[in-house]
Amino acid sequence: MGFLVDAFLKAIHLILRGDPATYSALATTVYVSTVSLAASLLMGIPAGFLLGYVSFPGRRMLRTLVDTLLSLPTVLIGLLVYGLLTRRGPLGRFELLFTVHAIVIGQALLALPIVTALTASAVEALDGRLRVTLLSLGAGPVRRFATSLREARYGVLAAAVTAYGRVLTEVGIAIMVGGNIKWHTRTLTTAIALETNKGDFAAGIALGAILLLLASGVNAILYGLRKRA
Amino acid sequence: MSRLSSLAGDCGESFSVPLYLFHDVEQAYKGRTVLSIGRWAVRQGIVLGLVGPNGSGKSTLLRLMGFVEFPVRGTIAFRGDRVSRRRAQAVRSEVTLLPQDPYLLDRSVADNVAYGLSVRGVRRNRAARVQEALRWVGLDPDLFGARSVRDLSGGEARRTALAARLVLRPRVLLLDEPTAEIDAHSAQLVRRAILRARSDWGATVVVTSHDWTWLRGFCDEVHEMRDGRLIAMGHETVDPGAAGASVVISRSPSAS
Repeated sequence: MGFLVDAFLKAIHLILRGDPATYSALATTVYVSTVSLAASLLMGIPAGFLLGYVSFPGRRMLRTLVDTLLSLPTVLIGLLVYGLLTRRGPLGRFELLFTVHAIVIGQALLALPIVTALTASAVEALDGRLRVTLLSLGAGPVRRFATSLREARYGVLAAAVTAYGRVLTEVGIAIMVGGNIKWHTRTLTTAIALETNKGDFAAGIALGAILLLLASGVNAILYGLRKRA
Repeated sequence: MSRLSSLAGDCGESFSVPLYLFHDVEQAYKGRTVLSIGRWAVRQGIVLGLVGPNGSGKSTLLRLMGFVEFPVRGTIAFRGDRVSRRRAQAVRSEVTLLPQDPYLLDRSVADNVAYGLSVRGVRRNRAARVQEALRWVGLDPDLFGARSVRDLSGGEARRTALAARLVLRPRVLLLDEPTAEIDAHSAQLVRRAILRARSDWGATVVVTSHDWTWLRGFCDEVHEMRDGRLIAMGHETVDPGAAGASVVISRSPSAS
């Protein structure tokens, strides 16, 4: 018990004294998670809407594929992105490997199926009468899309929260394509892995507590937004 | 678009193009035919009642007239032009349908009523028009305007949905069982709103109901449906000395 108490005290100490390495990892974590989430929302919301709203040949197969991608291991995504970005890979000339951009790409790929599948589910769960109502009130295709999305906003918000939680806490991608470079690509999760490997469990737990606080803060903000909506 | 005006002559409407002209229209769901209409015309500016039991095809017919769905066979002309899926969007700016079980958007009552105006880009006097429409259906704008639709009773929700259609001042108003599950006072408000739609902006109103007596009280014509077919069409004959209008039903030419 004393071990855990020490760890939490150390976490508070790290935060209060403004430990630069901890804040660097925190800033990197927030940056890559937020940018990757934004990218996945930009692609995943329209894709999920189309998947849940429009009937087309192969829709069921595509839905199954997206659902399957939900359980894709992060190390596999890391491996894929590594293969693409390595010097010998098709995108090697952009020299993105071991940069925050590489982590953003990997995490966006991780979040994309989550946003797509959960948005599709939210749209599928919309009341069947909505379409007739919008048509009968004269709404065109773009307006129908926007209004239906607004009606499904809680589901889409849940998709965003779930995806953010996933990218915020993943370690496989960040360590494989980010390289855990101090001051540069080190995130809270890769820092935890490093401290644990070094045998500094207290530091690991302290960083974990910060990560937990961060995730709780994001959830609290989104919960507040949902309540206001 | 093909002109189908010539068909009007077959329906005894040679003097003018009818608002709607159905020609061998059939609707089916999952292979089961639910509606079959040979030739049928609706004149502009009338209040038309559709009466019939559950499953007689009244709601299907109204959805087709609202161009929110399309028949598997046959053609429907609106103002003499056949309406394809592509053209339907333009026609829907003139026609609006109040379904039997209307859906309200998850927002305030006033926002629901204003939605169609916003779709049409109407900004001028929007708030005043919304308030007016709410009053028409007996809802006090000050009391109900800001209220969430989640806090409405069934009858209030139905009247809000009706106000959302009336505010558009549509050329064609299609009402599917507008008095279902509402009290006598509300039914009276619906009737007044229908008559106002015709007198104030010359709307053509098509209204379905099980209640023959209620329809007979204000409709110019009442058509009867059964098993997905129009089996009888009636024209109002008003006796100036009588308190109400009476409807004489005669067999439709296509009923045989």
